[in-house]
Amino acid sequence: MPAATLVVPACLLVTALLVGPMVYLGRISLNHYDASSMMTEALTLENYVRAVADPYYRGVMATTLTMALVCTTTTLILGFPVAYWIARMQSSWKSLVTVMTLMPLLVGNVVRVAGWVGLLGNQGFVNAGLQGVGLIDEPIRILYTPFAVALGTVAVVLPYMILTLASVIEAIPRNVEEAAANLGAPPATVFSRVVWPLALPGVAAGCTLVFILCMNTFATAVLLGGSQFKMMAPAVYDQFSKGSNWPFGAALAFILLIATLTLTVLGSVLIARRSRRRVAA
Amino acid sequence: MAGRVGVRALIVLAYVIIFAPMVTVAIISFFDQEIVSVPPEALTLKWYVNAWAQRDFARGFVTSLQIASIATLIGVPLGTLAALGLARSSFRGKEAVNTFLLAPLAVPAIVAGSALYLYYVMAENVLDMDIKGTLGGLIAANVLLTIPWTVRLVSASLAGLDRSAEEAAANLGARPFTVFRRITLPMMRPGIVAAALFSFVASFENLELNLLLVGPGRVTLPVAMLSYLEFRMDPTLAAVATVQIALIAAMMLITDRFVKLSRVV
Repeated sequence: MPAATLVVPACLLVTALLVGPMVYLGRISLNHYDASSMMTEALTLENYVRAVADPYYRGVMATTLTMALVCTTTTLILGFPVAYWIARMQSSWKSLVTVMTLMPLLVGNVVRVAGWVGLLGNQGFVNAGLQGVGLIDEPIRILYTPFAVALGTVAVVLPYMILTLASVIEAIPRNVEEAAANLGAPPATVFSRVVWPLALPGVAAGCTLVFILCMNTFATAVLLGGSQFKMMAPAVYDQFSKGSNWPFGAALAFILLIATLTLTVLGSVLIARRSRRRVAA
Repeated sequence: MAGRVGVRALIVLAYVIIFAPMVTVAIISFFDQEIVSVPPEALTLKWYVNAWAQRDFARGFVTSLQIASIATLIGVPLGTLAALGLARSSFRGKEAVNTFLLAPLAVPAIVAGSALYLYYVMAENVLDMDIKGTLGGLIAANVLLTIPWTVRLVSASLAGLDRSAEEAAANLGARPFTVFRRITLPMMRPGIVAAALFSFVASFENLELNLLLVGPGRVTLPVAMLSYLEFRMDPTLAAVATVQIALIAAMMLITDRFVKLSRVV
């Protein structure tokens, strides 16, 4: 028996439980819906057209994209120093720090959201602290703002960015940096001319992963954003849980998926081209 | 020098953002008053008792435990076989198969969850049986989650594996199955242990995939917490969250004693 056959059971499972449902979702998205006769079989793009044309859903998409871009950038800025620090750590603390960074990956988003509510709420730690030192008289509104969602999202995705970057930075030989420094490059130049270009593949991988996660923020958006704030993933869920307009929900789901994939592929290509040019130069 | 201080500040800020919500939830769970306000009037452990007395949380905990353990028991062997197949063969499209098996993590959970929901409803009509809201339906969805984690982690442990020990055993007359059982499997153990840990916890903590698939009387813990949080945040919920954080941290530290997680992941 060739070893390759060992992949068959897992592939069958993914086909049955992911490909099948996704194809079915795609088919449903082409159906027609109206309130009186509910869903009727059809082959129409009207749901996609409506999702793209409707100003409300355009707004939801704009919010989602802005949020994902802001959070990905912030995560990169915060995560890079941490990743570099872990990658270059030589003490026995390294494995503990790595496990500590790994641990939050496994803690569910709902658990974390509960913490943010306690921190950012009107009677939460932050407001109580600010009032305690006399900076503010009345509690300021932090919870149920886009800022709260961004903060909560960054906290969720940071460990992914740190671990992805750290594994790439670790592979950059230390003596390349030392050589640049010995030749008189100040730290900022060593970073911009040596570390950053060599870390670009990791930056691409980390940003791709984080961007996908940000585009699909659900619990954080629902619970920290308040009722006025809407992102794509909750909008998709609403169509299935509250409304019964399955075709439109399916179309929204595909738009979210396609937008995410297109942008991540585009981003990776841009970064890859850039890194090739850097290496050539 | 100023640059170095700035970099240190960013590192501290990153860890504060990561850990602040978890530390807060743990602190709140000991507050005496029911409506969360700072500073606390007194400290107590009563919310932990109360959390278990709340049927929704206790049941959710048991349901999630069932689903996550059975999904792990099914998914990890399947994923391990696939990782072994990928590592020990070369065929055209091998990269594609690898990507395909990692796809359940790349497709947004809420999209996959919606798709499974519609698929289950259709299958219910065709087969004339309940799937949505059943243990079987939930387990199937969660097995999907365990495959990519397992393939990724076991593949990583196989990549650094020295095959000469296997060849030596085979040359000394060991049969293929003996080679597998006595040499290959023990060498894969760190990857499999890490895969089991990540599969179990990823499934236990998953919200989005299960959200539309739960049914009356069978709600997972994260879904129960979400519906509670939509109305209020109180120390009872904080206690439920704290127990999870503590369990996850304990599982990771125990696992780390046997296999160095920082090396496999």
